[in-house]
Amino acid sequence: MQQHWKRQAQACLLPLAAVLLLFLTVPLVIMIRQSFGDQSGAGFSFANFMQILSQPFYYDAFRNSFFISIYSALAGLVLALFVAAALARMNEKAQERIILFINMTANFAGVPLAFAYIILLGNAGFVTLVLQHMGISLQSFFNLYSWQGLALTYVYFQVPLGVLFLYPAFKGMDQRWAEAASLLGASRFSFWARIGIPHILPSVLGTFIILFANGMGTYETAYALVGGTVSLVTTRIASSVSGDIFAQPQIGSAMAVLFSILMIAVLIANQYLLRLFRRDLK
Amino acid sequence: MRNVNRLIISLFVAFMCLPILITLVYSFATEWGKSIFPSGYTFKWYLQLYKDPQFIAAILRSLLLTVVTLGAVLVILVPSIALVAIYLPKYDRFFKPTVLLPYAIPGVVLATGLMRTYTNGFVPLFAVLSGGLFIYSLPFMYQSVRSSLQEIDGARLMEAAEVLGASKVYAFIRILLPNIKIGIMVGSLLTFSAFFGEFQLTNMILGGDFETIRIYMLRVMKVNGHLSSSVVMTYLILLIMVSALIVKVTNINRKRIIVPHDEAALNSNVKRSPANELLNH
Repeated sequence: MQQHWKRQAQACLLPLAAVLLLFLTVPLVIMIRQSFGDQSGAGFSFANFMQILSQPFYYDAFRNSFFISIYSALAGLVLALFVAAALARMNEKAQERIILFINMTANFAGVPLAFAYIILLGNAGFVTLVLQHMGISLQSFFNLYSWQGLALTYVYFQVPLGVLFLYPAFKGMDQRWAEAASLLGASRFSFWARIGIPHILPSVLGTFIILFANGMGTYETAYALVGGTVSLVTTRIASSVSGDIFAQPQIGSAMAVLFSILMIAVLIANQYLLRLFRRDLK
Repeated sequence: MRNVNRLIISLFVAFMCLPILITLVYSFATEWGKSIFPSGYTFKWYLQLYKDPQFIAAILRSLLLTVVTLGAVLVILVPSIALVAIYLPKYDRFFKPTVLLPYAIPGVVLATGLMRTYTNGFVPLFAVLSGGLFIYSLPFMYQSVRSSLQEIDGARLMEAAEVLGASKVYAFIRILLPNIKIGIMVGSLLTFSAFFGEFQLTNMILGGDFETIRIYMLRVMKVNGHLSSSVVMTYLILLIMVSALIVKVTNINRKRIIVPHDEAALNSNVKRSPANELLNH
């Protein structure tokens, strides 16, 4: 009877299994298969991967995405650390409100964000005009439609995301730890060096990886802000798969495979590092 | 120290509000770009926008996509999550990694796979797009439904219902589902705002053939910035209303729990939100 019921329960999962198979597994398998094929998808070789790794047109996309993500994740992380630390010390009501506020601003990414930055820092943007009146030319050292602009725009959504991930760690820091430490004669510095920082370090590391991954995966903001002028992994893949004239789907598939492998490797490294740190703590 | 904290938070809020405020001002400006401040203010962009049949059509398309996909998620995914949590815990290991799914398989990658598989096929591209969105709703729904199930102790509830003579199907539909209603609602609202603002998959798979609100926004942005700002503001107000609804539902939830466990509330709040941000980039 028990066995019978179990089989029925499993049968109820079939629709979900079908959807996952149709829209996740099969597409990924076909994409991986085609990444080894030629233009028509037939044959088997590493030619596509070799082409990506040897031609700057393709590997530049990886390099640009990598650096923009590293910069924006670092900047976002540092700012988020200050905000999360300050937030955890506010009163409960204020904390709730700020978290709510962050949730609402989450909808302001992608096209709206790119456009807002164009109004602010674009060629006829508000800040550009103000600086012009002061005799400073913004364009002489900053170009919104380049990797600089992209990195700056990414920071806008990296900071709140970082705060959401770091806030629990700061929240989990008991006020009594600092009191106990100082009663036992620890200075403020040694409290942070031996208790505070070791406590938040795993979260900081994890948050950095998530922010990095988030930057790497960003498509809409980049697409809306720079179109194809700055080559990024996401936009390059998209244009080689759905582009009109220069469509090279097999290269796009190979790039997508490399991209996913890279992201999974980063996430696995993160899990491994976290476990290492946690063991040290114990 | 107090003041420093307050200053940091104020700067952060200002930083986050600045782009939104500038868009708001731009949407009311007659012209802005020659001098520092707009030359005048007007409602004409909003009036022009609401009269544009393409705008209405874009909203309707976004709604259609959202409602169809969300419907499939509610019918197929939600019962499966509950079923696995209560009766088939060994399958749970397939669900857990989905929290990281959007990072491990970014939208561009799945869209590439979907296009290579279905562009020449017999499946309508709308269904393909809807299927892709379904995949990315996994993290929201799993988190929301799971935390709701934990709060009510779903397994024991089902056991109690059966001891009292209810059949499994009856207990599942009439007792379990109503009790996790709030988790389902929160998950649905989060999924709603993610689907409604979806750009990446839609743009890659269907592009201009299926102009949703975000794609409309981008097209208008290249033609008339003021009009585009008013689209952004309208869209934002709509989503803020959805967010307000989420908060309201979550608060009902909190009041209903007799023993307050702050950590669970905090975790569910915090964990859901980053996932919420993902789809919109």
